[in-house]
Amino acid sequence: MERVKTGIPGLDEMLWGGLLPQTANLIEGAPGTGKTTLGMQFIYHGIVACDEPGLVLTFEEFPHQYYNDASSFGWDFRQMEREDKLRVVMTSPEVSKADLEQVGGRIESLVREIGAKRILVDSLSHFERLSKDPAHLRSIVYGFINALKREGLTAMLTRESVALLGEAGGTDDTLAFLVDSYVLLRYVEIESTIHKALLVLKMRGSNHDKGIREYEITSRGIEVRAPFEGREGIMSGSPRQMVDSFVQAFVRR
Amino acid sequence: MEEMELDLTGRLMADMDPKLLEFLQTKVNSFVKWDLVRFFHDNPHTTDTANNIARYAGRSVETIQTELAELARDGVLEENQLGEMTVYSLAPDRHTRELLARFVRASDDRQFRVKAIYHIIRGTRR
Repeated sequence: MERVKTGIPGLDEMLWGGLLPQTANLIEGAPGTGKTTLGMQFIYHGIVACDEPGLVLTFEEFPHQYYNDASSFGWDFRQMEREDKLRVVMTSPEVSKADLEQVGGRIESLVREIGAKRILVDSLSHFERLSKDPAHLRSIVYGFINALKREGLTAMLTRESVALLGEAGGTDDTLAFLVDSYVLLRYVEIESTIHKALLVLKMRGSNHDKGIREYEITSRGIEVRAPFEGREGIMSGSPRQMVDSFVQAFVRR
Repeated sequence: MEEMELDLTGRLMADMDPKLLEFLQTKVNSFVKWDLVRFFHDNPHTTDTANNIARYAGRSVETIQTELAELARDGVLEENQLGEMTVYSLAPDRHTRELLARFVRASDDRQFRVKAIYHIIRGTRR
């Protein structure tokens, strides 16, 4: 099956070659885990390596913030905009939703204008202010995601997680059911040092690597490294060595 | 004597690109509009409501509502209905966009800014 490569070393292997085309893919993580960087890398790789122009839909950060952040990795987003391969659009969830619902809206026009194939939506969390009712919110996001797919876009949607370490309590996970794949980014404390862990939790229509891998944000972007070995409870934020768990479980003190 | 001094200042301050002077006197004739046109110049693909634009610009919606409507009336912005929402975006007209880009570039120059501020203050006193 054809794959949409993210261009992130290690992640494409975890996704068995890349994302599936015209799908919605959720990237969830705490502040600083690199959600936006991962999304920008996906857009950048599409433009430079796959001839697939991209859109960045931002609900909070100003476009110049993306230009600056991208340039710190050597990605010239300004030049890409000048070459009509990229558009960074600052808007709001309610306006983008209404815009996509109408025929010939602004986002649809931009997609056609540059022939966009990829989109980064940063972030889906902002939709949460449109409705307090989970069923209504799910319906809103469902419509939004379907509109992106209708436009032929492969979407990466970021979502903020409030928990810095371990499981995020209290988040409504109905949105996770709407997406085709779900990637979790987590901070992990190992021997008094913070590491970053990545897990592909779900991938509809494809197998994927079930391992939890360490990743780093380098000067070239995100690089996914080897799986954490000999430890468990990684996603809790405070993993134990497997031997400790064995002792705890089986050896009486 | 005072009138002559004012006239001399006025002539000195009017020493700028006539197109930009006209743009300043007829379209960007308030500090809030100056902020708004700069915002749309930096974010040319933004389409949003007055409420959200106010939030992005760090102003209250009451402060910018009239100014947005006037910029739309004067052809710098576009005002459209999106369902029940009134949304604003930069006018697609190439001539206006070029003029705006020249205005923003010129605004980086201190001398130009001093003159522009003079015209805005004089305009608001009229």
